[in-house]
Amino acid sequence: MSLVELKNVYQDFADGDDTIHALKKTNLSINAGEFVAIIGPSGSGKSTLLTIMGGLQKPTGGIVTLNGHNFSRANPKRRTQLRFEEIGFILQGSNLVPYLTVEKQLELIDKVAGKPFDIVAADKLLDSLGILALKNKYPSDLSGGERQRASIARALYSNPSLILADEPTASLDTVKAFEVVEILAHETKQLKKATVMVTHDERLLSYCDKVYVINDGVLMDKTGFYRRV
Amino acid sequence: MFLAINEIRYAKTRYLLIVGVVALISFLVYFLTGLAYGLAWSNRTSVDDWQASGIVLSDSANKNLMISTFDEGLADSVNTPKKANLYALQTVVLKDGFDDESQKINVSFFGADKTAFIYPEIIEGRDSAGSNEVIASVSLKGENKLALNDTIQIAGNTATYKIVGFTKSLKFNTAPVIYTSIDVARYIRGNMMVGPAASGKSNLISAVVVRGIAADSSPSGLNDKLKYYKIENFILSIPGYQAQLLTFGIMIGFLIIIAALVIGIFMYVLTIEKKSIFGIMKAQGISTLYISKSVILQTVILTVLGVAVGLGLTVLTSLLIPPAVPFLNNWFYYGLISMLLIIMSVLGTLFSVLIVSKIDPLKAIG
Repeated sequence: MSLVELKNVYQDFADGDDTIHALKKTNLSINAGEFVAIIGPSGSGKSTLLTIMGGLQKPTGGIVTLNGHNFSRANPKRRTQLRFEEIGFILQGSNLVPYLTVEKQLELIDKVAGKPFDIVAADKLLDSLGILALKNKYPSDLSGGERQRASIARALYSNPSLILADEPTASLDTVKAFEVVEILAHETKQLKKATVMVTHDERLLSYCDKVYVINDGVLMDKTGFYRRV
Repeated sequence: MFLAINEIRYAKTRYLLIVGVVALISFLVYFLTGLAYGLAWSNRTSVDDWQASGIVLSDSANKNLMISTFDEGLADSVNTPKKANLYALQTVVLKDGFDDESQKINVSFFGADKTAFIYPEIIEGRDSAGSNEVIASVSLKGENKLALNDTIQIAGNTATYKIVGFTKSLKFNTAPVIYTSIDVARYIRGNMMVGPAASGKSNLISAVVVRGIAADSSPSGLNDKLKYYKIENFILSIPGYQAQLLTFGIMIGFLIIIAALVIGIFMYVLTIEKKSIFGIMKAQGISTLYISKSVILQTVILTVLGVAVGLGLTVLTSLLIPPAVPFLNNWFYYGLISMLLIIMSVLGTLFSVLIVSKIDPLKAIG
């Protein structure tokens, strides 16, 4: 069953008198447990696609369905709620709050949801990511790799159906980058999430089930090409 | 709550500084309030002690008790259930046996019958017996080092009086009040050889104090040379009283606004600094409401802490300042000002909330 479904989704921007077609009509479907990579040069429409999938903006046309919810027609308040419940973000630098310890990053999610903090679940998750010992540290005390693991924990803790990772390895050396992507791939399979990773780094594509290339707003399935390579 | 408190814990120094600034400003506000209240109190406490509804003065006196004089006979026709005749004068006394400038004390003499309701209670010593004994405001003891059985001399002549009792602190227009009989008060005025009493008229009084009539009514039977004033109006026209109240009031009002601005600006700068992290939070689906609540709560926590420290400093100061400073704590005003400070600083933070609501989570990605 597909968790994420984009049907004829496109996005136009007005640029003076011109119209920029940032994303041309796109169809995409991602199943639970699927790890998808999107690559493309800057200005190709990667970010537009990511923000539409993430419910941060409404597409000009088309339908985005996320775990059965029609994202593209929801009002901003509902989209905020859906983002909170259905999407985990892992961002380039870090999606961590600088003044919360690793464990409190997770506690914040329960606080916002108005639930008591499930410390057992949090510790279990941190343990599975190998950062339980760091739970009382602030993000500034962590190394880049540790920070991204904490970011993954942050994204997974709310049990979303979709993980959106925007250049999650940008600030990491090769060894750390492989480690982080391996964890991401592992958790995607284990927890049956749909994961979309935007990246520049083609060495990481071997972990992905599908590879899409985006260029000038056109999304193309290049899984076969990258498998052969 | 969670975000607000954890951030304050994380950036202790930064928030301690803000609390410090709020504490200093609120200390200044409370201290000025204490001074204003103390000064107001020392203008009116003797009048408050009467628990009167109003006062009858001569029409020509322009509400000035010390200028008002009229025939005692006119007072008899004032038709009201409870009234008391008063003879008031201001003069200077010296502690007996001293003659230097620093020993001169401005005082008000109030002459009244011992049975009149305006005659004060004695808290120390005994009531006067005989025309050369008086009872005096206990503030003369604290501020001017006078003791029971000390003798005071009216400046400029030889008449002396013995203080045999102290009343609670009673002041009129900041001068301590000494109570005596109407006759003795007239005699003192006569000896001063100024004012109408000097001409030998011995049946003059200054005022009729009226108690127990409704606020919007006035006693009947007033001669047209007399005029009735509600006690609040009378107090407001004590020379200098209203001007002091206004001056302090304006200073305190502006300080409260300045406190709100300072907190507002601090929170604004902090919010601007946190824009990117707020953007990420919003992208993660944390609502503007939740973030705004945390910003406002932070303001409330900082202001409450600052205000508490400011109050502590004020109470400490009130214990240390010399008794001559007219300072009085008033918890009702302190409470009111604390509420105002908190409300105003929350209003100041609304700018920051506006910033938070305008942050576009789209900017957090890519």
